[in-house]
Amino acid sequence: MEKSTNTLEQPIGASSRGTAVVNKSQNKVQGIVVNGLIAALYIAVSAIIQPFGFTQVQFRVSEMFNHLIVFNKKYMFGIILGVFLTNLFFSPMKAYDLIFGVGQSVIALLITIACARFIKGIWARMIINTLVFTFTMFFIALELHLAFDLPFMFTWLTTAVGEFVVMAIGMPIMYVINKRVRFDRI
Amino acid sequence: MMEKMIFGRYVPADSTVHKMDPRSKLLIIFLFVCIIFLANNWITYALIGVYTFYMLGMSRIPVRFLYGGLKPVLWLVLFTLILQLLFTKEGNLLVEWGPIKIYEEGVRQGVFISLRFFFLILMTSLLTLTTSPIEITDGLETLLNPLKKIHFPVHEMALMMSISLRFIPTLMQETDKIMKAQMARGVEFSSGPFKERIKAVIPLLIPLFVSSFKRAEELAVAMEARGYRGGEGRTKYRQLSWKAADTLQLVVLAILTILLFLLRA
Repeated sequence: MEKSTNTLEQPIGASSRGTAVVNKSQNKVQGIVVNGLIAALYIAVSAIIQPFGFTQVQFRVSEMFNHLIVFNKKYMFGIILGVFLTNLFFSPMKAYDLIFGVGQSVIALLITIACARFIKGIWARMIINTLVFTFTMFFIALELHLAFDLPFMFTWLTTAVGEFVVMAIGMPIMYVINKRVRFDRI
Repeated sequence: MMEKMIFGRYVPADSTVHKMDPRSKLLIIFLFVCIIFLANNWITYALIGVYTFYMLGMSRIPVRFLYGGLKPVLWLVLFTLILQLLFTKEGNLLVEWGPIKIYEEGVRQGVFISLRFFFLILMTSLLTLTTSPIEITDGLETLLNPLKKIHFPVHEMALMMSISLRFIPTLMQETDKIMKAQMARGVEFSSGPFKERIKAVIPLLIPLFVSSFKRAEELAVAMEARGYRGGEGRTKYRQLSWKAADTLQLVVLAILTILLFLLRA
């Protein structure tokens, strides 16, 4: 019986026929498509999986997808688009979340990319990423302060704790998934 | 189930707002989000309210859809209202009940913040209720076109967005299917020990990522085979057209902005 093509055993980036001819144009197309699908997955997971009993306001399980940037910075666009579309279609606070939520993701991801130049090792990068996302929750606190006049420091603390928990839980999960899926191959 | 949540947001109808160009709707919503902060007294909030209901009336969206957008944040608005009532200590004392004292300014601030929030949600909901996701993508792509000058990949982002919108229902179905398959094997996603629930996410996400990457690979090969060469010289099947109604609505918003500037305290 002929062995079927298995993506788990094959680097993403090589074609399913096993040829290694990957030119710049192919890479670009694949980058666009993979990021489009990562965004779609972000939305699907945001909408369906809520296993930790998180409220729909701040604690999305798909926040752990932010760790994808640690494996490959090319996932940045997919993550940002995922946040953008999730806020556009699901968030009741659309306008604010589109500006502040997406802004927070962009800035946090850029900081992690910059830090990754100096930090080697997946775990160290994931820890930095978690801390950066936790710290930049002041964007969301600012959003809630402007929208609702909620106390800034208290809101920052509560949202940061939520983000830290999701990102910290996400570290071992994304590490295990990476061993099977190999995120660094696009 | 989830498809209804996302794509059910768009409510097709034959209204003026539906027929408007997505670019003008995006501009109106963006400007509205900014000018709503100009309102700071009863007259300016009344003006914002009149404008919101004028737009809602033109859209002919049934009230139940609008209520659906407001429902998830009602508790948050209520919480804010209570915070304002209890902690603002300015103006005349209106109610004193033991340690609880409610002042005039607390009521005023609480009502203003609640109104601002309701109007904001209603107006931003109007965008997704009257504009299909693909129209929003086209509108955004055109509006962001000037960013090409600073080498921002506008076309690529729009394409990513289209691909994403195409695959959301597929991946939602797949997520649902894998979850049910795992649950049939005894996995508990919403109950049981915390550690077990975290572990349960791994066998759910691995097949999702694997199938997403496989789809991406197949789609990329198909696009290459059909000669996809990026945005250069690419023509569009859906053409956007700016009409007189779009200009008129922007003029109405400009008049509202001027009035807000003149009438604010």
